[in-house]
Amino acid sequence: MKFLCVPCDKPMQLLEASPPDRGSVSLVYSCDACGYEMAMLTNPQETQVVTSLGVKIGKEGAGESKCPFTGMLADMERDEDTLRWTAGARERLSSVPEFVRTMAKSGIEKYARDQGYAEVDEKVLDEARSHFGM
Amino acid sequence: MKSYYDITGDGGSNILEQVGAMHAAIDEKLAGVKHRLAVGSGKGGVGKSTLTRQLATALRQRGNACAILDADLNGPSQARLSGLHDVPLLPGAEGVALPKDADGIGVVSLGSLIPESEAVSFDTVAAGDSYTWRATREFTAVAELLSSIDWGHLDYLLIDLPPGAERTLQFAEFLGSSTAFMLVTVPSDLARGVVARSVAALRGTPNRVLGYVENMRGYWCEACSDVRPLFPESERVDLGIPRLGSVPFDPQLAAACDRGEPAIGADRPWWVAIQKLAEVVEETIQTKPSSE
Repeated sequence: MKFLCVPCDKPMQLLEASPPDRGSVSLVYSCDACGYEMAMLTNPQETQVVTSLGVKIGKEGAGESKCPFTGMLADMERDEDTLRWTAGARERLSSVPEFVRTMAKSGIEKYARDQGYAEVDEKVLDEARSHFGM
Repeated sequence: MKSYYDITGDGGSNILEQVGAMHAAIDEKLAGVKHRLAVGSGKGGVGKSTLTRQLATALRQRGNACAILDADLNGPSQARLSGLHDVPLLPGAEGVALPKDADGIGVVSLGSLIPESEAVSFDTVAAGDSYTWRATREFTAVAELLSSIDWGHLDYLLIDLPPGAERTLQFAEFLGSSTAFMLVTVPSDLARGVVARSVAALRGTPNRVLGYVENMRGYWCEACSDVRPLFPESERVDLGIPRLGSVPFDPQLAAACDRGEPAIGADRPWWVAIQKLAEVVEETIQTKPSSE
């Protein structure tokens, strides 16, 4: 979706976005030429259709995405860690698709607990791979 | 006034670029896969998943490195068929490790992650209106699996599709032209008629359709040591594609599938048929189509 300032015949640029409110996102676009501003207010279905495309969401996405719309959507609450995770292990965990990450994490933590570990690091992850024959 | 196509960029949303990056990541992760074969059918309940699993076993026995992606997110069955329980997705240095069953066949199935008593669900801000976004989210989920798994070097990646002629077409467009298709039916005109719609839908795509498999062509009767009729057999509905093989139903196989045990039964007719099917699939997929 693109926005055009009709009087100037110039594409408008995303200026700011407000945090999601009950599934709705407010995006402000402005025209660099005349300074005119307009807002797009999405309904929850529109918000969901965009997020269903798998664009970055959540806190990590906010840092990487140029777009507040995709970057800030669904600033989901994070599960409290039940085991400590090292930065390296957490980085690896981020490669697991988000929709199954919680399940993967709990499975890994179960393995770590069963083995008596208090912390999940890359060594534990590699060891688990061997344990499960991967 | 400028049109959509006169304007470069999207004013900062970056959405199309992210979707494009996802597809690039899939291509990168599947670079080591020689053959992608989607197993589909317009009709549900014809044995796609069982056939996929057994075909993988037979291909593996012929020395091929194989993996299965269970793309039927709402009815995943490959985990049970493969005996994979409580195997977490484990992130490695090159992506998520490919879970493998006792036969060394890679199996990616939501069934190993989500208890059968739970529905597969996704976070949403549009609760109650899932018909507006669910299909898109499901394809994205498959894309996320394809692009995150470290598939490594494989001879065959078998993709077990959900039922539905429209789904078959959507997966052809989603997986790209390098994915070949094999369709499954049972020998009744009811099923063949529905599968014919999938054939028609695929005709409009550049994807290669190797042919179809006639599953449950009779059942193996232990008492009479013979394959007995199961469906009213007819071929009045012409599918217009080659028949790659016919596989009889075997209650022993059904029981083994329920238990998630390999059911290779030496000379049982279904296994002989599956072995023959694997041979035909190998020959067919490695032969360039005449139009190329």
